[in-house]
Amino acid sequence: MTFFSPSLFKIEFRRRFIGLLIWSLALGASMYLVVILFPMVQDMYAAMPPEFAAIMEQFGGLPTNGLEYFSTEGGMMFQLFGALYVALEGFNIITRDERERTVESIFALPLSRTQLFVTKYASVVTNILLFSLINYGFSLIGFIQIGEDINMGDFTLFFALTTLMFLVIATLSLSLASYLKVGVKSGIAIAIPFPLYILYIISTMTSNEILKNLKYITPFTFADPVGIFKADYELPWLNLIIFVLLAVSGFISAMICFKRRDILI
Amino acid sequence: MAAIEIMHLRKYYQKSRGLEDASLTVNEGEIFGFVGPNGAGKTTLIRILMNLIHKSSGDALIFGENVDGKAKKLNEIIGYLPSETNFYAEMPVKDVLSFFAETRKIDFDRMNELVQILDLDLTKKVGALSFGNKKKLGIIVAMMHRPKLLILDEPTTGLDPLMQKKMLDLLKEEQKQGTTIFLSSHDLAEVQEACDRVALIKDGKINFVFKMDDLRMSSFKKLLIKPLNQSLSFPDLTYLGDVANASQYEYKGNINDLIQFLSKYRFESIDLRDSTLAEIFLDYYKKEA
Repeated sequence: MTFFSPSLFKIEFRRRFIGLLIWSLALGASMYLVVILFPMVQDMYAAMPPEFAAIMEQFGGLPTNGLEYFSTEGGMMFQLFGALYVALEGFNIITRDERERTVESIFALPLSRTQLFVTKYASVVTNILLFSLINYGFSLIGFIQIGEDINMGDFTLFFALTTLMFLVIATLSLSLASYLKVGVKSGIAIAIPFPLYILYIISTMTSNEILKNLKYITPFTFADPVGIFKADYELPWLNLIIFVLLAVSGFISAMICFKRRDILI
Repeated sequence: MAAIEIMHLRKYYQKSRGLEDASLTVNEGEIFGFVGPNGAGKTTLIRILMNLIHKSSGDALIFGENVDGKAKKLNEIIGYLPSETNFYAEMPVKDVLSFFAETRKIDFDRMNELVQILDLDLTKKVGALSFGNKKKLGIIVAMMHRPKLLILDEPTTGLDPLMQKKMLDLLKEEQKQGTTIFLSSHDLAEVQEACDRVALIKDGKINFVFKMDDLRMSSFKKLLIKPLNQSLSFPDLTYLGDVANASQYEYKGNINDLIQFLSKYRFESIDLRDSTLAEIFLDYYKKEA
């Protein structure tokens, strides 16, 4: 028994290609701009009054190299906007056919619900991989252009973990779409990445030990760009395992819901 | 083997009724019409057959196979036309057709033949098609793989009269090839013309199923005469009223006796015809009320 339909995959990919291109190019170009501004920002840091630099020390200090700068400026932007994009992707892969009323025609094809679900999920995964790859490329071109020597291992690890985090968020969003009734607007999908991002920001900025524990309940923690580019970085395995397991169970339960879903349009 | 067998099928959407207790059998090779007012449960029943929604209780079988979870297998032999046909609006028609043909792994000959018969422009984007042309696209998608069973939800709605005629001819042609056709419709004239049997659904229940031939035999005649004359008196002849300078009667007896009786009078015009399915249903509803 096959779980995948190549023709459905092709058409799903094609339908989402323009969206992928717009998000990837817009964000990729922004990342590129952020990176090529680094030499100018360095000059600004050099001209900064010592009192201001002392204040910045409270927030981790001024970046000393390109990757540290990238982590706070480009990396976090990529994660936030990327998380919004993938959440919408995950949600829409289930609801778009229902919203556009194409679902009746698609479900009349000789494909099982499992095949439909797995193929749709595969198209989301493909889009996320391409989205990350395009942004990786844009950022890398920026670093090459300014002649900044970066640690490629760390740089690649950041994109790999962020891609994994995107997959987790997209899966949770897709699960949400499967649990909800037909007809719920896709805007609800951003209810997943936004609160998780805010929890992550709070956990990194606070000195309160209780609030610091918030980092365990957000997948942004295992892809924390500030941490990844530090010399003494240790991957937060527990956080990563928790969210990967959550995504796997979300995928399975969503597939069960999808198979039982009544198509009421 | 029956093409479709439905036994005590029931569907509730939480507390609201979709189907109450529907039972019917569609024989292999026949065109079966399924009529009823809006909200009667026609689309609910069709969607259960298509595995789009799940029944609350009862059984639905297609060629002896319970439909639950069998979409992949059964959709190989079913062609389905939803009441509102929607495809990927941003794509050209030819790409949509290629997608369906590729997924069904069929050759393009039959598809091209249907495109010619229904005269569909392949270069346009689906979103630019009129409702009628979207319907044509839906018909081609439903028929391109020569299905054993066609399930059509209001197939001619939105088509112009010429295209409706083509569609009905196409259905009859399919039937000759051995295809079973199950269609729901609001258009009773269409059902009357195309179907071998018809079922009436109301309030989620199948009220009756009858053969069109039996119906024609047992149905009453409509008589319209000019000039106005409200006083014709003959057994089984009932005066109904005056319509547009003509007196209207209903007759349930032997037609030859009636003609003999009418020959004693002089008229400007006489119109004697079989009652339509619509009139039969109206008559039924009146009795029910």
